[in-house]
Amino acid sequence: MSLQIQSSFNRELNQWEIKAAGEVDISTAPKFRACLDTAFQEKKADIVLYLEELNYIDSTGLGVIIGTMSKMKENKNRITLVNPKENIKKLLNIISLDRILCPEI
Amino acid sequence: MTDILRFSVPGKPEYVGTIRLAVSSLANCAGFDIEAVEDIKVAVSEACTNVVCHGQPNREECYEVSCEVGEGRIIISVIDRAGGYDISKYRRPIMDKPKEGGLGIFIIKTLMDEVDIFSELGLGTSIKMVKYLNSI
Repeated sequence: MSLQIQSSFNRELNQWEIKAAGEVDISTAPKFRACLDTAFQEKKADIVLYLEELNYIDSTGLGVIIGTMSKMKENKNRITLVNPKENIKKLLNIISLDRILCPEI
Repeated sequence: MTDILRFSVPGKPEYVGTIRLAVSSLANCAGFDIEAVEDIKVAVSEACTNVVCHGQPNREECYEVSCEVGEGRIIISVIDRAGGYDISKYRRPIMDKPKEGGLGIFIIKTLMDEVDIFSELGLGTSIKMVKYLNSI
């Protein structure tokens, strides 16, 4: 029950590529928020979140994504979620974030 | 015939995951399919998160998670003495303008078959959630 997170900046595509694995809930959301905030502060660019190894996310984690999204809006940057698992897709659908954040669904 | 399991949980973030695992294991044993187990897991976790997030900081009391299984359903109640809130002030989130907060209750109501919330300001809150085995 932990969160592993790796972020790197892709210079060619001028975007952050962040891989999250494990679980984002109330105990790991601060780490998730810190990672997204640090990346965006370091370089204001689009963020692509790879979620294929993320098993669980709850409203606090989704709140972090929504918070980041609003911060990025000022700069007209986007956050995109790639390959969320079925259970996560269902939650994104419930709160209507799928059509905003997951172009491939 | 129903069985009742009660967990007394310290109001700290690190134990929400423990309850999530325990309740999903219980739902699995009770015969719920994978998708229903996942719904129950998310709902109970959201209810516990609400207690831990919105509880008053100086009240480190335990909250109770009680699960009743049997008769084709699972009833989960999350009961706290964390101060309560004014339910009439709850607003359904506006999905075109997503905000960081207020998602938990909305998610619980979407995933469970029946949800009842009682809260008394100054005292605490209880959320009762029911999922039926044969619900669609």
